[in-house]
Amino acid sequence: MLKRILRTSAVVAVAATAGLTASAALAAKVAVITPYLAQPGTQFYVEAFQGVAAEKGWDVNVIDTQGDVAAVISRIEDMVTQNVDAIVINVDPAQVEAGLQVAADAGIPVFGMDAGANPLLVTNVTSNGYQMAAETSSYVADRIEGKGNVVMFIFDAFPPVQVRGVIARAVFGNYPDITILDQVTPDVSDGGIADSRAKMEAILAANPEPGSIAAVWAAWDQPALGALQAIEDAGRSDEGIVITGIDANPQARDEIAKGGNFEASVAQDFHGIGAATAEAVARVLGGDTIKQRVTYVPTKLITVANATE
Amino acid sequence: MAVPLLELENVSKSYAGTPALRQVNLSIGAGEVHALMGENGAGKSTLIKILAGVVAPDSATIRVDGKAVQIEDAASAHRLGLRFIHQELNVVPALSVAENIVMAQGYPRRGGILVDWQTLNRIAKEALERLGVSHIDPRTRMARLSTGDRMLVKISAALLSSDGAPARLYVMDEPTAALTREETGKLFAVLNQIRASGSSVLYVSHRIDEVMTMCDRATVLRDGQSVDSGLLSQITHDDLVALMTGRTVSEAYPPRLAEPSGKIAYDGHGLTVRRGEIVGLAGLSGSGQTELLRTIFGSPARAWRTGAAYVPKERRGEGLALGRPIFENITLPHLGTLSLGGAMLMPRRERLFAADRGEDVRLRAASVKQSARQLSGGNQQKVVFAKALSGDPSLLLLDEPTRGVDVGAKFDIYSIIREMTTKGMAVILASSDLPELIGLCDRIAVMRSGRVDTIVDARLTEDALLNLCYGRGPNAEAA
Amino acid sequence: MRALPILRRFGTLIGFALIVAFLWWRLPDTFMTARNWLNITQQLSMLTVVAAGMTVVMVMNDFDLSVGSMASLAGIVAAMLFSLGYPIWAAVGVALLAGLAGGLFNGVLVGVIGILPFVATLATMTMFSGAAFIVSGGKTISGRVIPEAFGNFARQGLEIGPVTVPNLSMVAVAVVALVWVLLEQTTFGRRLYAIGGNLEAAHLSGVPVRRFKLIAFSLTGLSAALAGLLYASRVASANPTQGSGLMLNAIAAVFLGMTMSEEGEPRVLATVLGVLILGVLDNGLTQMNVDSYVRQILVGSIILVAVSVSALSRSRRS
Repeated sequence: MLKRILRTSAVVAVAATAGLTASAALAAKVAVITPYLAQPGTQFYVEAFQGVAAEKGWDVNVIDTQGDVAAVISRIEDMVTQNVDAIVINVDPAQVEAGLQVAADAGIPVFGMDAGANPLLVTNVTSNGYQMAAETSSYVADRIEGKGNVVMFIFDAFPPVQVRGVIARAVFGNYPDITILDQVTPDVSDGGIADSRAKMEAILAANPEPGSIAAVWAAWDQPALGALQAIEDAGRSDEGIVITGIDANPQARDEIAKGGNFEASVAQDFHGIGAATAEAVARVLGGDTIKQRVTYVPTKLITVANATE
Repeated sequence: MAVPLLELENVSKSYAGTPALRQVNLSIGAGEVHALMGENGAGKSTLIKILAGVVAPDSATIRVDGKAVQIEDAASAHRLGLRFIHQELNVVPALSVAENIVMAQGYPRRGGILVDWQTLNRIAKEALERLGVSHIDPRTRMARLSTGDRMLVKISAALLSSDGAPARLYVMDEPTAALTREETGKLFAVLNQIRASGSSVLYVSHRIDEVMTMCDRATVLRDGQSVDSGLLSQITHDDLVALMTGRTVSEAYPPRLAEPSGKIAYDGHGLTVRRGEIVGLAGLSGSGQTELLRTIFGSPARAWRTGAAYVPKERRGEGLALGRPIFENITLPHLGTLSLGGAMLMPRRERLFAADRGEDVRLRAASVKQSARQLSGGNQQKVVFAKALSGDPSLLLLDEPTRGVDVGAKFDIYSIIREMTTKGMAVILASSDLPELIGLCDRIAVMRSGRVDTIVDARLTEDALLNLCYGRGPNAEAA
Repeated sequence: MRALPILRRFGTLIGFALIVAFLWWRLPDTFMTARNWLNITQQLSMLTVVAAGMTVVMVMNDFDLSVGSMASLAGIVAAMLFSLGYPIWAAVGVALLAGLAGGLFNGVLVGVIGILPFVATLATMTMFSGAAFIVSGGKTISGRVIPEAFGNFARQGLEIGPVTVPNLSMVAVAVVALVWVLLEQTTFGRRLYAIGGNLEAAHLSGVPVRRFKLIAFSLTGLSAALAGLLYASRVASANPTQGSGLMLNAIAAVFLGMTMSEEGEPRVLATVLGVLILGVLDNGLTQMNVDSYVRQILVGSIILVAVSVSALSRSRRS
């Protein structure tokens, strides 16, 4: 793989110096292919990517296959036919490997924009799940001053969420006075709010003493919202139970802004991911090699101080 | 003679260089029922379309009450008092009779919003009564009416739609094509009523007997020209046929060629049919003729295999796939034997076979690859016959085989039926055309309420047969 | 007047030629190459299989809205069986049987119970889709549970001289050839066309209409399942909604094809041309950097123009 990129870069470099091919003289052609353009997160990535690309004078072709993953493969093939300089995808690379292989055979570098790691990608630019979980779990530990009972909402069946639970457990385990009261895996068929609320209601009923629950740590926002509803409904919102989530979706931001029990979440930097992907593309087009299989973009802790930004 | 109500002079029309009408003349007096006759393709429909303002003539002089007029569109035809009752009745089955009659006028309102049902039903009832129709309740759903009654409702609606221009001439295109004998009788009563009121009717039909009974004068078209026009009381049936076809017809029905052999070909449901015999099914409409034929036919797949063939009543609805080529229609029930192992098609062989069979029934078509849609009604019916006869059936079941077929094709079809009997085929023929039954059959089974009532020798008069249909003795006073 | 029938019969074909010529002109180096056309055939293989199957029921004047859901379900069924450790042949066989059974169910609803195909297959469309969600638990099944050989099938092909003909393309061509033989060369096909021409007349001519509807819908279901497997192989994964885009495109392709026949009846080779029009536009316009959404509007317009020309000339004639 590395060799291939080196070879490509070398070819590009030689061609550029010799000024022999038309493409070297023209703007770099970059294709962004996604089945998910209609989703808000993806739109942010793509806008930021285009922003950087405009500065660099690239010719960017954004292709939306509207949920059709096989069509992503088809469009990768078409872009390879067009001999573009780089391709960016925003889809599980395992599902489009057939297309990645075609690009690799043609020596065209493919980048993941929050796609997933894959040996056929130059690099995948995304947020660091370990880091996001570290931010919220250390926030919880600090707020409860290293002691008390914590309820965790986790989902180990989905790898990106599973890693968050691993870190939170490690952080809480590092405080001798923090006890993990329960680790709940909610039913996520409706996103997780309803079942998390039901589970939390049961836990509250089992622990009626004020102060018997110090905090709720959730691996994503929906269980945190469900727990919040359960606590408010049980009339226990004045006990100072600290709730945190991850992702900072709009509903979570609203709750955090109110200054209630839901105190913190972590926002991914979608713009940053888009821009960092463009920078990665620029580096490779400039002849650099990228060693990291995954390029992490910093995330941001959201509290009452910045929830409305 | 008084000034005619409507006069057409030198009407000519060509389509893409092919003349459809050449210098046609037509004159209809007030209070006259005038027949417009001619074989398919003679130009009748083009002439009607010109009258309706749908087709513009290349040249024509049209006079109403002696004054020259122009018919530019449907509205100007309406203003001149022309009303058109089409073969395909455009009715709304889900609405009541009264609503169908009043529809074109707009409903009477109460307070400008609510429909005034009482007035609506009264208007409709009056319109029906003006035609002497009293057996139809204006509140009945249109869907529950017979085809004949629907036609009467349609005529009432035409009568009513005056808009300041009262109806003066009703143009009826094959009005009895789908009517039973009693329904035709009712229609004729209405036509007499119209005549008595001083309005006129242009009556387009193939049925010579009906025209002879009902109409005062006739104009005959042949190959786009008006060949003759005159009083029907001064002309015979055969002369009329000769005028239409351009050849002399000695007999309307071909002579009997064979005597039934005596061997029984079909026995059941109160019917025994010998080989070479034609047994007719007569009866009032709805007496179960079609149902009996279907019962005898049974499961189609098995029937075709065991040597029965069926020519259904509705040529377009049941007989033909109009969009498919002629040869596919002919070979469809016989694909088992015309294919390789019953599975793989042999189109060349099929086409040769179909062409031969088409020739047997005197089918006139450019090629068997043409779609059935491109044929005239008579030739379409011949395709249905070719299909039925292709398996050399031993029993042929015919339901109204000459309905909507012109005189020439009708004679061909009669000849084919006759020919088949000489080969020993047994035929059961249901028809509402009593002369046809009498002229063609050996014996006639009269059906009443779904069952065979009596079987008589076909050598009887029309009146006698009609009496039997009504369940009276053959010599009873006619109704 | 004389130009009209020609335009009607060959308008769509001429349109296709114009599209190809235009793309060739705008993409002189890349469009008209063996490699690009092999790509196109591979990209279109799934749609071709579904559309060929759809043609079978549309010949009878019926249609099947459930093909997309069936494609998804078949992919999910195979992937679930893979994850339970069943061999490829067993998983593929069961998925195809599911397609056959689902199609048969459609046939029973339409042919035996007598529900309008629109209503019947709309209902089964949601049922099959629901089944796909239940079987998969709503998740995408991918990764190591999908056998490598299954995913590789879509990436490999038959090497003929300098070019490699993709397996997917060969499967599509084989399916089209089979459907062509079935519809155009057998008594079965002739009788299907007769049912489409006039159901009552076909029945009275001894065609076992009910049995034919069962068989035809089963074949459509089978082809939908096959397309779903090709899709799953191409993406080496299965998702409960991945086939949903196939249905409308398949119907559009058959309609485009129907504009090319004398009486407006579907023909499988004409359907293939319909598929090609859709696919070549996707391929070419993508290469020309035309916005995906503009492309959709263009594709819709082309369908409308083709069908309008056909409808207008037909009404003019009658």
